[in-house]
Amino acid sequence: MLEVRDVVTSYGMIQALRGVSLTAREGEVTCILGPNGAGKTTLLYTIAGILRPRSGSISFQGRELAGTSAPDVVGRGISLVPENRLVFPHMTVRENLFAGAYVRLGRDRAGVEADLDAMFARFPILKQRAGQAAGTLSGGEQQMLAVARALMARPRLLMMDEPSLGLAPLVVEQIFQIVQGLNREGITVLLVEQNARLALSIAHHAYLLEQGRIAFHGTPSEVSANEGISRAYLGIKGG
Amino acid sequence: MVDFLQALVDGVMLGATYSLLGLGFTLIFGVLRRLNLAFGPTILVGIYAGSHVGLAWPGALWAVVAATVVAAILCGIYVERCSFRALARQAPVVSMISTFAVWMQLQELVSLFEASRTMPYPSPAWLPALTVGPILLRSDALLMWSGATAIMLALFVLLYRTRFGTAVRAVADSSEAAALMGVNVSIIGAAAFLLASTVGGLAGVLIAQSQQQVTPYFGLWATVKGLTAMLLGGAGSLPGAVAGGVILGVVETQTLWHFGGQWRDLASFALLFLVIALSPRARSEPTL
Repeated sequence: MLEVRDVVTSYGMIQALRGVSLTAREGEVTCILGPNGAGKTTLLYTIAGILRPRSGSISFQGRELAGTSAPDVVGRGISLVPENRLVFPHMTVRENLFAGAYVRLGRDRAGVEADLDAMFARFPILKQRAGQAAGTLSGGEQQMLAVARALMARPRLLMMDEPSLGLAPLVVEQIFQIVQGLNREGITVLLVEQNARLALSIAHHAYLLEQGRIAFHGTPSEVSANEGISRAYLGIKGG
Repeated sequence: MVDFLQALVDGVMLGATYSLLGLGFTLIFGVLRRLNLAFGPTILVGIYAGSHVGLAWPGALWAVVAATVVAAILCGIYVERCSFRALARQAPVVSMISTFAVWMQLQELVSLFEASRTMPYPSPAWLPALTVGPILLRSDALLMWSGATAIMLALFVLLYRTRFGTAVRAVADSSEAAALMGVNVSIIGAAAFLLASTVGGLAGVLIAQSQQQVTPYFGLWATVKGLTAMLLGGAGSLPGAVAGGVILGVVETQTLWHFGGQWRDLASFALLFLVIALSPRARSEPTL
């Protein structure tokens, strides 16, 4: 579904991605592991059209995506749940969801209203908080809102950047159940996550990104079986 | 008591135009996170254009309004190109300093061609004044208040009830998240600037018809009033700018009435200092 080939992205003189290739297969959860500063967020922002790759190609459902603007990327069915959630703090929960549907708000008002009801059915807590400013929500509620907001664009590929960051373990579990549920409904997921054990538990395929390059990739069991990776990312001695 | 009420009513009517100026500042500051000191001077140019049209075609009020608003918008586009788009990658303070330079350009241009003369501005003299009990409502003040209120209502519907308004407020809240939702942040920034210039031009019409004249110092005056209204309301809040303008207007007219005109501005700046010093909201991150 998503094919990233030899993508190079730089900030000025600094190369953050030094030729990254990766595939996210339709209907699967693909996870990207790696230390801070490896380029994980840069990769997601490059796919999302916020950053322009210096070279390489990104194809989505067989069509080239590299160099496409962010609005067109969202319109083609890719949404990103950003790191730290980035809800609109002074807008209400309902307004946040409408903002998530921005690219289709002009032509499909009825569909957006219907999706809003569907989101409220899926996340009852958001319905309770519908008129509240998003900044007053708890971290877990904000993460649910960020996911729901991304879903309002009706994505086929959902990218998530560190969804467990700063959340209590029980809430993290809840969020991962939601992600798994979405995946079972047919949404392809590209997941960046520091909590490697948790990410591997729901992933079909995993990539290890180190210093702007893919250092290893394979199924979760192949990743766990690799002694060096296990030691560095799963905290397991031996292997 | 009647004096107090009369001053209160006068203050609310005057304050409504300060609210408009404050909203113009807030739109630009909230969305672009940059201060546009040249906001007042763009309105100044609009009013001079309107004044000339009024002299050339006496009685053609609609032409005066159109000339004022269009000239303010054109000037706003000039400011946006020079101080904001061309300097978008520079630090916000660079934009602010350059708006000061553009302010001086505009003010000097007007002074050069008008030789610092006071110019007349037409007002719809046929409107009657109203008296409600002991309170006198001057026709120009009524027009100021009703015009400003109508513009504010239209602006709030646009910002809180439309797709465009959702985008404007989303960019003001988090431009990064807005971009991820597919909002074209730079287009929305330019559109917010254009909207602010339009509001500024309309505020200029309402104020100038009440004062019936304009001098090159109007630019300074409008920037100071608008900035004060915005800051009183908490730097970046739209409802706050409305409240800030009204508070400023009432403080001014009450001071004028009870202590005399020479205390008027001193009182409003003392109030501004107190609000900034005491309110945590005034010192927090700007939002819409």
